[in-house]
Amino acid sequence: MVQGVGEGATNGSNRTERGVDSVMLAKYYRAFKHDLDRRGIIFSFSGYLSEGILYSLGEALRQKMTLEETNVNTVKKVFSVFVEQAQNIIRYSAEKVAGESDHPIELSSGMVTIGTENDRFFIVCGNVVRAADEPKLRQRLELLRGMDKDAIKAYYKEQLREEPDEHSRGATIGLIEIARRASIPIEFDFDPIDGESFFFCMKVCI
Amino acid sequence: MAMENFKIAATERSPEVNFDFDGCRLSLRGESYPEDASTVFGPLFSALERFLATIGEREFVVEFDLTYFNSSSAKALMNMLKLLDHAARDGARISVSWLFAPDDDTMKEFGEDFSEDLEHVAFNLVAVEPAA
Repeated sequence: MVQGVGEGATNGSNRTERGVDSVMLAKYYRAFKHDLDRRGIIFSFSGYLSEGILYSLGEALRQKMTLEETNVNTVKKVFSVFVEQAQNIIRYSAEKVAGESDHPIELSSGMVTIGTENDRFFIVCGNVVRAADEPKLRQRLELLRGMDKDAIKAYYKEQLREEPDEHSRGATIGLIEIARRASIPIEFDFDPIDGESFFFCMKVCI
Repeated sequence: MAMENFKIAATERSPEVNFDFDGCRLSLRGESYPEDASTVFGPLFSALERFLATIGEREFVVEFDLTYFNSSSAKALMNMLKLLDHAARDGARISVSWLFAPDDDTMKEFGEDFSEDLEHVAFNLVAVEPAA
């Protein structure tokens, strides 16, 4: 999203070996900020996500929506989709750093972007997934895309009763929760990076 | 044999749990969205199993006063409710109250969804105005 936007990024002569020319600093980041604003983005996080970051971003999101007197049920839906998407990144991103075994901390890299467009909130997540995980994820999302509200609700209840799938760490029900809160069918896409990985992206509108 | 009461303070992402064995009451209050729900619900589940084995003729009152939970917590809540329903089927007197704010459609719907799977516990959906 950052690349190719604004003068600073497109014009190579504005950049030094180390990055942005200090003379161009404000212009460069103003263009970056302007691009985010133009896309209706409330906030966008890219980098290593942890449970603590999830909590803080979630609080900021709820405060922002509450201050703007957003309907309480809309706030809950947006927050819920945000939490499930962020926790999917924490669980499944193929880009991870794990701590020592006695420090059960795990940081996973990904992106979460929240904004508004056409009078709707949107929540987008993006992260790298292993190629081996792509077919199953695609299949789950396509299944959900083909379902109407009632079918999604019935599927949620069915999965709630199921014994946990050892390998999924709860992903199935998390994706159903996301689909359930969406106002229009979820959008998703996979962009191949190399033979071993894809950049996975999902957009949910509320 | 007296059992120790089981209390867990709320954290940023997990509910307050108050399990009063002598008073025969259990309540969960707040929000629940830990990435791994078993860290919160695992110990509670064990305490619940131990307690249900000793319940006898007493009435057990369980109150869920939750404002938000993630999908892995939903699964854990379902398992707890199943455990309670099985105990009630086997003769325990159990009443479950599911509290929700009147304008909170999501929590109301969850209460309705959960109640459909319960055959033996007395289940009450209770709309509660939040304290001013």
